[in-house]
Order: sequence, then structure tokens, then C-alpha cells
Amino acid sequence: MNTLKKLTKAGVFRGMAQLSKPAAAPKTFNYMRQLGALAILVLALQIISGVFLSMFYKPSAVATFGGYTMAFDSIERIMREVNFGWLLRYLHIVGASALFIMVYVHLARCLYHGAYKGPRKFLWMIGVVLMLLMHSTAFFGYLLPWGQMSYWAATVIINIFEAIPTLGPMMGQFLRGGFFISDPTVSRFFSLHYAFPMIIALMVGVHIRGLKIEYTVRHSLGLALIVLVYAYFVFFNPTAWGLFMEAENFSPANNLATPMNITPPWYLTPWYGILRAFPDKLTGVAAMVLSLLVLFFVPWLDRSKAMTSANRPLHRLIVLAFCASVVVLGYCGHSPMSEPLKWLGRIATGAYFAFFMLLPFSHRLDRHRLARLRKLLRRLWTGLLKLWPLLGKLPKALVKSPPKRAQ
Amino acid sequence: MKRLVFTLLVLAGVIWPLTNASAAFDPEPVPDVDLSFDRITLRAGLEVFTDVCMGCHSAKFVTYQNLLDYQEFGFSREEIDVLRGERRLLTGLISTLTADMAKLYYGRVPPDLSLMARARDGGGAYIASLLTGYEHDPARRIPDEAYNIYFPGRRIAMPDPLNWLGHKPGDEGAILEKARAVASFLAFAAEPRRAERRRIGFWVMGYLLILVAVLYLLVREDDKASEV
Repeated sequence: MNTLKKLTKAGVFRGMAQLSKPAAAPKTFNYMRQLGALAILVLALQIISGVFLSMFYKPSAVATFGGYTMAFDSIERIMREVNFGWLLRYLHIVGASALFIMVYVHLARCLYHGAYKGPRKFLWMIGVVLMLLMHSTAFFGYLLPWGQMSYWAATVIINIFEAIPTLGPMMGQFLRGGFFISDPTVSRFFSLHYAFPMIIALMVGVHIRGLKIEYTVRHSLGLALIVLVYAYFVFFNPTAWGLFMEAENFSPANNLATPMNITPPWYLTPWYGILRAFPDKLTGVAAMVLSLLVLFFVPWLDRSKAMTSANRPLHRLIVLAFCASVVVLGYCGHSPMSEPLKWLGRIATGAYFAFFMLLPFSHRLDRHRLARLRKLLRRLWTGLLKLWPLLGKLPKALVKSPPKRAQ
Repeated sequence: MKRLVFTLLVLAGVIWPLTNASAAFDPEPVPDVDLSFDRITLRAGLEVFTDVCMGCHSAKFVTYQNLLDYQEFGFSREEIDVLRGERRLLTGLISTLTADMAKLYYGRVPPDLSLMARARDGGGAYIASLLTGYEHDPARRIPDEAYNIYFPGRRIAMPDPLNWLGHKPGDEGAILEKARAVASFLAFAAEPRRAERRRIGFWVMGYLLILVAVLYLLVREDDKASEV
């Protein structure tokens, strides 16, 4: 450490810092604020690795030996024969999850800091559109390996669209290119999986157009930290305990054998959890669509003039509760259905929608009002404690009164 | 914040056991499946695979060329030529049992084993356990050759391949060794690039750790500079 100090004194790091520093960042600079910018870099990595993967991938469900298909075989070829093919595929798979983690935390950060307000209402809406586009892109990509989970998750998700009255069956037929998931489905999903990122890239341009983006050395540190975690998963834990790559998906798709527990990939499970919280399919689908659409209206639901949650305790509480509900819903959507989980999912769904119902009133409870409310509650509590012994005596008095007997 | 974390932990502690309450009873899997892939175990596993498993199962993604190329086996061209016989170098390890015959004999087509170690939770340990999981059904409903405590539903179409039930007393150890070796081989076959992945990973992680350290020092200098 001493030599390091000497080095810094000699000005090596100071010189580098000054070279790499176009603008002095505030000391309170939050690392969470970088996630949006870093997500763009991960998106770029996804596009690059995807372009290389598509050179070797064959979008065809034509059967080969042993119940496999061309699509599955070509991916195994990438994993075994193509030079560093395994690296490309793991980068792409882990990258999808990394992108969603960063986008979700970015979204939560924006909710917490009220970044959707004021002149950035449109920006927020573009962001929600981006998230929906990423969901669909990920869903299209998930079918491409043509494994068991790919096939059955796609079956389940397309059946969700089928629940929409009148339009549903048509949409399902269009997505599948027929009446069941087969060869036309995989080729059109591949085409859409390639097309959607172009729209995403365009929208990202619109999303960041009006922003003043400052690069600081902290961005490099943030990026290096994220790449460190990313590299851990790519090189040492690509399946992430079955979260990024399910064991089920190493078996070729078989339309005669349904897996025990069909789950969409983890980044779609919160919304799947909402769907499963309802006993009726159409209500569940409606709730799921509503849960995504309602995000568009957040800038108008929040009527407070203040931006961040710092001065709005109720707002902070409901934002944190909302984030917790999304995590719980994700867990519920991922696990096999059971009685306690069903109720947990319903409570979390309630919490999810309660956020949007409470949001218009969240600024009513500021710090001073909260202090008064706390005082009131404390008084009520102490009063109750004083009353408690009296309450205890009451039933005793009732019991101990000697029964009157008729003489 | 501390209170929040504490509450979350308590909630998780309450909810976790509740959600796992419905999970089915699972017997303990066989431990000690070798994942370091040393030459002796891998070759022993390949021998069990070609002698026993390949009677019915294939491993189509493992070709003879692969066996020659993967340094872990250390095969010479002559050894591979003996192994493959008349078959071409680029064919996989494919069983002679056809799908029609398999359906006739066993009622279903045996699955390809190239990816089996990754396609089941538990991986190699699951395979070793399955091979030594044949028992007498206590309820006497399922015949001995189809009763396996590790198989979901406990009724398996594969008849006891290593003769675990009918072995002579004292042979348990040898059969267990065979099961572990073939499990190790299949774990290798499911992801032959695993060793390469980890080897490169150490370099990448090392590089990134140094990078993070340097950038951290830079950020500290940056803070000092902005204070002045």
C-alpha cells in the first residue's frame, strides 16, 4: 500500500484521472444511476454475439437422428465444434439475463427517484415500450434452441394470447404460423428475434436523445464491476443454478411429453405470477396486460411536485413494497404451484396493484404529517397499554360473578 | 434499512419452508462423481458406455473424431481405429438398436445420452444414483427390473443395466465404481468444453479484478480532485 501511495503521490493515478475526466462528477454520484447507460453496452454485446451466433444457427425444426431437430443440433454444434462457440452462446444467454437485471433495477431506480416526472414523461413511456420490446425479443429467442422448456414455455405463452376474445385465435395462429408450434414457428421467431433488436436500438436512440450523458471514471468502474459479475456467470456458472438455462432445455422438444413444471425464463416470471394468481384464465390475462399497461400512466398517477422519494416517506414505502412484490411474484411464477404459494402470489398481486392505487395520494403524507401520525399512533398505543389491565379484569369479573340459583 | 433487511429475512425464513413443504421425498444421491475428468476415469467410463449403455442408447454428439481430439482421453489414432471398427470417424457413438426394435422390446425409444448429465437436475450424480437405484418395491406393485428409487414416479423402462439387484455379495463396490465412471464420462460428454471454459475464465477474472482495482484507485483520485 505504501508504494501505491508513493505512486499516487507521484501523480500516476492523478494524471490518469485528470486525463479521463471530462467533467467533475458530484460526490453523491449514485452507481445506480449508471445502469441505464451500462444496459446499452450490454445490449450492444447482445447484438454482436447474436450476429455471430446466427452465422451457425439453423432455424429449422426438421427432425434429425434421435428425436432431435436441426435447430437443436446446430446449437450443439456451436457448443462443441465452432471455435469459441460455447463462449458466444454463454455470452448471449447470460447477457439476456444481465440486460434484464439492469433494466429492472434501472426501472426501480427511476420509480424511486421520480425520474418519470416533468419534462421526461415521454422518456418514461419510451422506456416502458423498450421493456415490452425486450420481453418479446427474449420470448422469441427462447424458442430457438428448440428444447423442451423452449417448446412448452412458447406453448403456454402463445396460449395466453389465445385468451383474448375474437382477436386471440388469429394472433395465436399468426405467431405459430399454423395450429401448433412447429417448423414455421421457429423460422418466424428467428426472423422476429433478429428484427426486434433493430427496433430496440432505434428506440434506445430516441430514449437517450434528449439526455445529457456525462462520462466519468465511475462509469468505467461500474462497467468493470458488472463485467466481473457477468464473466463469473459466463465462465463458471452459465446455467446459474438452472435459472438462466433450465436442465429441461437440454432435452429436445417433444410434443408428447410435458415437463413437470413449465416456467417462462425468470425475467418473465413476475408477470406469469400475476397471471397465475387468478383462477380464471381471461381475468388473469387481463390483469397481466393491465399490470404492464398501467406503467405507462405512472407519470400522471404521481401528482407530487417533488421528484425523489427522500421527502415522501409513503412514496418510498410503496416503491419498496412494489419492488418486493415484483420479486415475490417472480418467485411465485418460477416455482411449482402449491397452496401457500398461490396465496403468496395473490397477496403480491394485490401489493403490485396497490402501488398504482396509492401513488396519487403518496405525496399527501410528507415528513411533518408522518411525525404527527407517529405521535398519534404512539399515544393510541400507550392508551391501549393503560387500558389493557382493565380489559383483563373485565372477563374475570364476568366469570367470577356467582351464578344465581333459583331458590 | 436494517429493519427492512431484518423483516425481509424473517419473512423469507417463514415463507421458504412453507413453499418447500410440498416437495416430494428425494433419496440422497450417490456422492463422489468425478468432475475433474482424469484420463483413467474417463476411459473407464467410455468402456462402460460402449459395453453396456450403447446396447440401447446413443451419444450422437460425441463422434470418434471428438474422442481423438479431446486431450482428456489421450487416445491415439490406432486406438480410435480399433474402437470404431468399420464406422466413419465423423459418426457419433450410435447404438445398433433401432427405434422400431426399441419400441418393440422396451415400449419406448431410449433417449440419447449426449446431454443427459445436463438435462437432469443433479447431473452426473443423478446418473450414478439411477444406475444403483434398483430395489425391491416395498408395495410389490412394480416389478424389480422396473423399480428405481431415483426415477420420478419410480417406474423406469430401463431394466437394471449394471445388474445392481442380482450382483454377488461383495460386488457393490465394483458396480458403484462403474456407475461413477460412466456418470463422469457422460458429464464430460454433456459439456466437453467445460475445462476450456474454466481455464479461460480464471484469466478473464484475474484481468477484470486488476482492472477493477485500478479503476477504484482512479475513482478515489477523482474524488480527491473534486474536493479541492
